[in-house]
Amino acid sequence: MSAYAALVPLLIIVGGAIFILLLEAFWKPASKTPLAALALLAAAGCGAACARLWSRGASAFGGMLRLDDLALAFTVIFLVAVAFTILIALKYLPRQNADFGEFYGLLLLALSGLMVMVSSPNLIVVLLGLEILSVSSYALAGLKRDDDRATEAAIKYFLMGSFASAFLIFGLALLYGAARSLEMPAVAASFAGPSGDSLLGLAGLVLVIIGFGFKIALVPFHMWTPDVYQGAPTPVTAFFAVGPKAAGFAVLFKLVAPVGDQAFRSAKIQVVLGIVAGLTMLVASLTALRQKNIKRLLAYSGIANAGYLLVAVLSGDGVGLMFFLAVYLFMSFGAFGALIAMSRAGEEFHDLDDFAGIGAKYPWLGALFAVFLISLAGFPPLGGFLAKYYIFAAAVHKGLTPLVLIGLLASLISAYYYLRIVVFMYMREPVRNIELDLDVPAVYLVLFLCLYGVLQLGLFPGRILVFLKQALASLVL
Amino acid sequence: MSMPLLSLITFLPLAAAVLLIFFPKDRKRLLYGFALGVTVAVFAASLILYFGFDSAAAGPQFVERTAWLGFGIQYHVGVDGISLFLVLLTTFLLPLVLLSSWSYIRERIKEYLIFMLLLETGILGVFLSLNLFLFYVFWEAALIPMYFLIGIWGGKRRVYATMKFVLFTMAGSLLMLAAIFTLSSLFFKATGTYSLNVFDQARMVLNPRLQTWLFLAFGLAFAIKVPMFPFHTWLPDAHVEAPTGASILLAAVLLKMGSYGFLRFAIPLFPDAVERFLPVLSVLCLIGIIYGGLMALIQKDIKSLVAYSSVSHMGLVMLAVFSLNVEGTLGAIYQMLNHGLSTGALFLAVGILYERAHTRLIRDFGGVSKQMPVFSAFFLIAVLSSAGLPGLNGFIGEITCLYGVFAANKVYAALAVTTLILGAAYLLWMFQRVMQGPVTNEKILSFPDMSWREIACFAPIVVLMFWMGIAPRAFTGKMDASVTAYVHRIKGRERVFVQKAVPSPVSFRLDAEERLPR
Repeated sequence: MSAYAALVPLLIIVGGAIFILLLEAFWKPASKTPLAALALLAAAGCGAACARLWSRGASAFGGMLRLDDLALAFTVIFLVAVAFTILIALKYLPRQNADFGEFYGLLLLALSGLMVMVSSPNLIVVLLGLEILSVSSYALAGLKRDDDRATEAAIKYFLMGSFASAFLIFGLALLYGAARSLEMPAVAASFAGPSGDSLLGLAGLVLVIIGFGFKIALVPFHMWTPDVYQGAPTPVTAFFAVGPKAAGFAVLFKLVAPVGDQAFRSAKIQVVLGIVAGLTMLVASLTALRQKNIKRLLAYSGIANAGYLLVAVLSGDGVGLMFFLAVYLFMSFGAFGALIAMSRAGEEFHDLDDFAGIGAKYPWLGALFAVFLISLAGFPPLGGFLAKYYIFAAAVHKGLTPLVLIGLLASLISAYYYLRIVVFMYMREPVRNIELDLDVPAVYLVLFLCLYGVLQLGLFPGRILVFLKQALASLVL
Repeated sequence: MSMPLLSLITFLPLAAAVLLIFFPKDRKRLLYGFALGVTVAVFAASLILYFGFDSAAAGPQFVERTAWLGFGIQYHVGVDGISLFLVLLTTFLLPLVLLSSWSYIRERIKEYLIFMLLLETGILGVFLSLNLFLFYVFWEAALIPMYFLIGIWGGKRRVYATMKFVLFTMAGSLLMLAAIFTLSSLFFKATGTYSLNVFDQARMVLNPRLQTWLFLAFGLAFAIKVPMFPFHTWLPDAHVEAPTGASILLAAVLLKMGSYGFLRFAIPLFPDAVERFLPVLSVLCLIGIIYGGLMALIQKDIKSLVAYSSVSHMGLVMLAVFSLNVEGTLGAIYQMLNHGLSTGALFLAVGILYERAHTRLIRDFGGVSKQMPVFSAFFLIAVLSSAGLPGLNGFIGEITCLYGVFAANKVYAALAVTTLILGAAYLLWMFQRVMQGPVTNEKILSFPDMSWREIACFAPIVVLMFWMGIAPRAFTGKMDASVTAYVHRIKGRERVFVQKAVPSPVSFRLDAEERLPR
C-alpha cells in the first residue's frame, strides 16, 4: 500500500485545521458555526479514512508512521472526543465571550498531535506528536484571554508542560545511549538482553515515565491539573481529561508493557510504577473529598482514574486499558457535558452549592449527571463498573493484589465524593435560585450519546471487546 | 425452556421503571395504578414458580443460562428451595409497600415509584443469580435505589443515614469483589477455563489459608448486610430515617440478602474456613441476639426499637445458619421469611401511627387501641408473630432454628433462647405503652381508625402469618430437597487439602457423575 494511504487521515485533519485558521483570519465569520461544522466534517472524513484502513494497516516514511489497528482504534477514541468537544463548545463559547474560530483549528491541530503520538513506533516521532499537542493545548487553555484564571491556567500548563518535555527529551537521550535506537521494540529488546538492567537504560526509562507522568497527571506530578482544569474553558477541560490521557497511556503501554514483562525479574520499574499507581489512586481520591468546585473535583477524579489505568499498564492488560479509556470517554464527557449545561450567558455554576436542588428543578439534567457520576463511582450495571472489573481482575490474575486492594479502597472513597454531588442535587434544598439556560440541543445530544455509551459498554460490550482485541493483536510485543 | 420466566420476573419492574419516566408526573392515580399493576403481575408470575416448582429436585430450576461478557461471566439464573420463597417474599411485599406509600409519599411520586421498581429488579436478581459476577452486579445495583429512597424521602438526618448505609455496604462488597477476582483467577489457573458459576466454584477445594482470606472477604460483605454484631450500626440510622416503604423492604428483604449470601456463597465456597470460624461467628450471633434485644428494650422511638429487634432476630437466623444442619438451615430460611413478614408488618404499623401522630416516640402514645380497635388487632398480631407466639409463623421458625442450634451446640441454644424472652419483653412492653392504658395525648382522640387501603396492605400479611404458623409444610416441603443437598454438600465433603508441596493452590473434587466444565 502506498505511503499516502497512511497519511490520508492526518492530512485531512491538518488540512482542515489550517483551512479553518485561514478562514478565521481572512473571512472572519460572525457566527463560528460554519467553522465548527467544517471541523466536524474533517473529523468525520478522518474517521472514514481510518475505517478504510482497518485491519489492513499502512505505513509511511520508512515505518516512522505506522497506522496499525491499535493506532486506528486510539484514533477513533480521539475523534469521538474531539467531536464531543466541538458539540459541547458550540453554544458555550459565545455565551462565555470566548467565541474564537481559532478554537476549532487548534482543536484539530491538537488532534493531529494525538494521532501522531499513537501512530509511531519511534519515540522521537512520539515526542513530535506530543509537542504539537502541547503547544495547541497551551493556547486552548488560555482561550478566555480576559479571564485571570484562564491565563493562570495557560501559563501554568505551559511551564509544567515544558518541564515535562525537558525530562522526556533527556530520558530519550539516555535511552538512545542504552538501546542505540528509539524504536520501541528495540528499546524493549534492550531490556531483555543479558545486560538488560543497565543503569543508563533504567534512568532513561524513568525519566521518560516522569515526562509522561506530568502529561497524564500521575501523583506526584499532578499539581498543575486542578488549576488548569478549573481555569480552562470547560469544553477544553473535557478534551484534556480524555485525549492527552488516552494518548499518554497508549505510549506508556507500548513502552512499558513489554519492558515490564521482561524486567519482571529485576522488577524495579514494576515496583516504582506500582507505588506511583497506588499513590495516584489514594492521594487523588483523598484530595477530591475536600473539593467544593466540581471542575476541580472532576480533575482529581481524572487523576484517580489515571491510577486505575496505570494498574492496567502494570498488569499488561491492553484490552482492559482500552476498554477503560472507551468507557471513560463517555463518562467523562457526560459529566463535563452536564457541567456545561450548568451555565447561562456569561455565567457558569460549578460550586457544589450550586447543584443543590438541581435534580428536582431540572430532572433530565440531574438524572443524566447522576448516571455519569454513579458510573464513575463504579456501580454496576454501568460501564464504569465493568471497566474497573476488567482491570482489577487482570491485576489480581497477575498477582498485583495489594494494588487492587488500594484501588478498591480508592473506589470506596470515590463513591463518597461522587455521591455527595448526587446528594446535593437530590437531597438538599437550593441555596440560591439558579436559572439555567438549557437551550443547548448539541449538549443534550452529547449527553444522550454518552448515556448510550455508558449503558452499552456496561451491559453488552461484546463487539467493542472483539474490536479492541483485534486492535491489540496488531501490537508487536 | 419455553418461557424465560425468571428473566421476566426480574426485568419486568425494570422495564416498567423505564416506561414510568415518560408518564406525566402529577397524575398520582395513573402512576400508582401502573406501578401497582406491574408489581401485582410480577407477583402473579412468581406464583407460577411456586406451583411449577418440583419439590423433589434439589438443584436450581427454571434455569436460564447464556454467555454474556466472557471470562466466565454468564447470565445464569435459577431458583431452588433456598431462594424460592425469598423471591416470593419480595414479589409479595412490593405491591403492599407501594400501597402503603400512597399517603406517606407526597412529593416526587413518580421518582419514588421508579426507584421502588428498580429496587425490586435488584433484589430479585440477587436471589436468582447463580453466577458470582451477576450476583455482584445485582447486589451493588440494589444499593443505588435504596440510597435514593432514604436520601430523598427520608427524615431529618437522611443524608447522613443514606451515606452511612451506602459506604458500609460498599466497603464490604468491594472486598468481596477482590475475592471474586481471586476465585476467577484461581479457577483459570487450575482448569484453563474461566467460570464464575457458583456450582463450579464450590467444587474447587482451596487450601486453608486462602480459604480463610476469601471467606473473610465474602463474610464481611454479608455480615454487614445482615447485619451481624458489630457491623450493625448503620441499621438503626437507616431504618429511623427511611420512609415507611423503604423501611419495610430494607428489613424484610434487603437484610435477607446477607443471610442468603452466606447460604448460597460464603458457606458452600469456603466450608473449611466456616468450620474454623464457627465459634467466633456463633458468639457474634449470640452477642447480636442479646445486645439487640437489650438495646430494643431501652429505645424511645418505636422504629428504632423494631430496628434493634431486627438485629436480635437476624442474630438467631445467622446462628441457625451456622449450625450447619438440616433443621437449623431450614429453620433459618423459614425464620428469614417470618422476620420479613413480621418486621414488615411492624414497620407498616409504625408508619400508620406516624402518619397520624407525626411522631414515633413511645411516650407520645398511650391508649391508642380505644381509638383504633381494628388497627390494634392487626398490630397485636404482628407483635405476637414477631415475639413467636404458637399458632403464628414466628413460633415455627424460632423453634426450628433453636432445634438446629441445639443439635449443634447446647450452650449456644440455651443462650439463644433469650431471644424469645427478650422479644416478648420489648415488644409487649412497647405494645402496652403505645396501645393500652389511658389516653395520654389529646391528639390521639382525633386519630381515625385504619382506612380500607391500610387494611388492604396489612391483611394479606396477617393471613400469611397464620398460614405459615398453621401449615408450615406448604412451605418447608419445597425447601427440603435443596436444604438437604446443601447440608450434605458441606458435611459430606472430602477433606482433600492441597499441601504446600503442590505448586497449584487449588485442586478439584470430582463426584462420580460430575464433570468439570468442558
